Amino acid sequence: MIGVGTMGPVGSPAAREDFRSSAGDAYAPERDAWAVLASVGGLGPVAFAALLVRFGSGEGVLTAATEPGAVVRLADTPPVERDPGAPMRRPVPAAVARAIAEAAADRGRFLERLRGLAIRVVTAEEPAYPTRLLAIEMPPHVLFVRGPVAALQHDRAAAIVGTRHPTSAGRVCAGRVAAALVAADAAVISGLAYGIDGAAHESTIHAGGATVAVIGGGHDTAVPVGHDLLAQRIVDAGGAVVSESAPDVAPTRGTFPRRNRIISGLADATIVVEAPARSGALITASWALEQGRECFLVPGPIDVPAVAGCLSFLREFHGAARIVAGIPELVADLGWVSASPSATPDRLAGAAIQGLGDAAGRLALLLIGGVTTVDELVATADLAPATVVAALAQLEHRGLAVAHQGRFRPAGALLGERVRPMLR
Amino acid sequence: MPGMLAVLPSATLDGLEGRSIRVEVDVAPGLPGFSIVGLPDAALQEARERVRGAIRNAGFVFPPRRITINLAPAGLRKAGSALDLAMAMGILLGSEQVRVGPAAVALIGELSLGGEVRPVAGTLPMVAALARSGVQRVVLARVAMDEARLVAGIAITGADTLAEACAAVRSGRSRSRPVAKPRVTMAGRASAEDDRSPVGSRTQAAYVTDSVPDLAEVRGQAQARRGLEIAMAGGHGLLMVGPPGVGKTLLARTIPGLLPELDADAALAVSIVASASGEGPIRGLRRIPPFRSPHHTASAASLVGGGPSLTPGEVTRADHGVLFLDELAEFDRDVLEALRQPLEEGRVTIVRAGRSTTFPARFQLVAAMNPCPCGYAGSLPEARCRCSASTIERYDRRVSGPMRDRIDLWVTLPRVAASALVGQREPESSATVAARIAAARARSAARGDGRLNARLRGHRLRAACHLDDATRRHAEELADMVDSSARGTERLLRVARTIADLEGVAVVGHDHLDEAAGYRSTASRSGATLAS
Repeated sequence: MIGVGTMGPVGSPAAREDFRSSAGDAYAPERDAWAVLASVGGLGPVAFAALLVRFGSGEGVLTAATEPGAVVRLADTPPVERDPGAPMRRPVPAAVARAIAEAAADRGRFLERLRGLAIRVVTAEEPAYPTRLLAIEMPPHVLFVRGPVAALQHDRAAAIVGTRHPTSAGRVCAGRVAAALVAADAAVISGLAYGIDGAAHESTIHAGGATVAVIGGGHDTAVPVGHDLLAQRIVDAGGAVVSESAPDVAPTRGTFPRRNRIISGLADATIVVEAPARSGALITASWALEQGRECFLVPGPIDVPAVAGCLSFLREFHGAARIVAGIPELVADLGWVSASPSATPDRLAGAAIQGLGDAAGRLALLLIGGVTTVDELVATADLAPATVVAALAQLEHRGLAVAHQGRFRPAGALLGERVRPMLR
Repeated sequence: MPGMLAVLPSATLDGLEGRSIRVEVDVAPGLPGFSIVGLPDAALQEARERVRGAIRNAGFVFPPRRITINLAPAGLRKAGSALDLAMAMGILLGSEQVRVGPAAVALIGELSLGGEVRPVAGTLPMVAALARSGVQRVVLARVAMDEARLVAGIAITGADTLAEACAAVRSGRSRSRPVAKPRVTMAGRASAEDDRSPVGSRTQAAYVTDSVPDLAEVRGQAQARRGLEIAMAGGHGLLMVGPPGVGKTLLARTIPGLLPELDADAALAVSIVASASGEGPIRGLRRIPPFRSPHHTASAASLVGGGPSLTPGEVTRADHGVLFLDELAEFDRDVLEALRQPLEEGRVTIVRAGRSTTFPARFQLVAAMNPCPCGYAGSLPEARCRCSASTIERYDRRVSGPMRDRIDLWVTLPRVAASALVGQREPESSATVAARIAAARARSAARGDGRLNARLRGHRLRAACHLDDATRRHAEELADMVDSSARGTERLLRVARTIADLEGVAVVGHDHLDEAAGYRSTASRSGATLAS
């Protein structure tokens, strides 16, 4: 599927062990060499692996690439045998060989740039490389990471993905799932896209958890324009932004589905909140199943386009894909009973409301009950508009409410325990 | 018919200023001809034909002589038709068809081919300039008399025709009355001028009740109503964002009924601008703050002013009042950029062909826009808006940073189902809200030098707020949530100050700050913007 073969990640397992034992500063030149190779356009995982076998190491490849006659030698790399009898092609075409030679000549500038952007590199040979990801077929040889690499190695991790055009109920749902996962001490993985992804990241940060965003292009190309701030906040909150591409690789149509295998691969389970038919989130869900991970989908009414994809996926992968019957049920299905019972979301909500003033407390309850606009709040709570506006600002200030296009919805600790029935 | 030199005072309009002009008419023997010198513009060159026709058709004789008219000072560029009457009178005097009395009489007016005297734009500043230069009497179109009388210290004489104007300047009785040439006319005598100005034929109060909607007509939108009240009480910039049909424009149109009347100085300034922009003869001082709403296809020149004769633009016509930009995001970027100087400095400097003029532009900005190109983002059902998040964001960013900085209050108006409003009380009327606004303005004026809260900056603002330590910390925290910059904090304090004024409280407290934080930009809010 989508251009990723069934080759293993690297050359000989023995070589990998060697590097693991000597990891640390001594490994730095080899890590740099891998980063340089990962920046070569057109050099796929198969060719990468073949080169490592032929030249022994990343440094070996680069050394060979700077010698006279390098292009011919590189292009002459024999394929690594996988299935006996499968057609054997030379894995490194001449154009790619030339690109490798150019990258090798320009390596100094590239590495300086990586350091300038404060991007960490972790290779599949290193112990710091996330074990979950290493277990998938064709894991990326190199990850470019903004933020601590350790954020990828959380004990528990779940991915929350979904449409870029969610309903506000969908946003609330994504936020609640994320808050519950944080309460269960899990990291939240997503794709930094608008919509469900953004809501999941936001809510995780609000709840004080770690979140990892896997982006489709390099770090120096635009993530969704409106989310550059969010990316920064993810890193500030101890999370990480990850890419398998070198910084200046622009995202294309093809990179997003490939990226999705990393989202599901970094997680123990993938949870889809709102996906219309043919949504990219369903590709992530397929990857999760293919990688042998859990895959959960939040159901919804049969006549709402935003959940049509979830329902058809549940139908198609009956038995493999699982349904989210409620947030406590989801946490139970994941087998992650919250470590500290006092910190469950509904208790958090109760405590948060108690700490509020009279008006703000009443409005918090109304928001949880699905009242969204100032007008409706004024009418239902029978408060002066000025009081309502002030109380809402207070809720927002405390991270308990979020406004979107003039409609308010609960956030943070107010995201109660049960998935609320879809409104309207 | 011998010839001689005639010199008459008149005036022309230069931007918003009147300039007194000496019209020198030499009727000399020689080949018949008619030339005007002294930097006249194209409209003035055409005056030759109007003057010739008016003299003939009023029953006088256009002298078959060599006529030269000089407009002094020669260095000043002259434009428009206000000098027609003075030039025609100069020819009549120079050809001795009329004899003039001893007093200095100025003449202002455009002539028709039939010899009627018509009012011109800028009567008020022109008469004021003449009064300053010591002229004792001015003759002008009868319909412009009320406007000219706003100037003290100069006698006003009205004239409907060239013949009447002659009678007004003539010494003693004329020997022979001119007999107007016969004419055929298919147009009625009633002039359209009277209906052109809404204030012209009716009283101001009637104007307000007739064409300004009352706040009681606006259902729901509690936050926007409150935001509007705060904005009007403090003179703050206000932006309303919401889908079509939620009442943004209706709310804005209630503004003239909410603002207190202008004081004498402001009213005079507003009247002068109205006169110079050709809003037709003005009947009295304009006490109602102007409310200008240019269409979003307006050009930069029409907004900030310009053109060959340096005409004031909408920002100047909104001086002391409100400039309402409906569909803000649909305005050309260049046009919005041109608003930067007037927004920041309260005046606008226009340079055209080596001349530069500064016009006042202390307007209050009120704007409205849709949340996205289709207008339905955030409306229910949610599938109705098909704009992508990045499209919505690009749309939002059409409003540039400097413009955002001038907007203290941001209000989002969601579409609300009628059924949600059942429990609400009857909406308040404009009169009730206007009384609160006037009281709050009086409080803020009593506090200092009478400037509006929207113009408070720096230490003056801090002094006005009387914050204690805890409140100051709270303000900074809130500003962090809204947008963390010194400007953000000041914006918050200004609005909170006005909210406290509306409540009649001297010290700004937590609640005021909280409410102020509720009126701010979605876009500048940290991170969460459109994603979640």
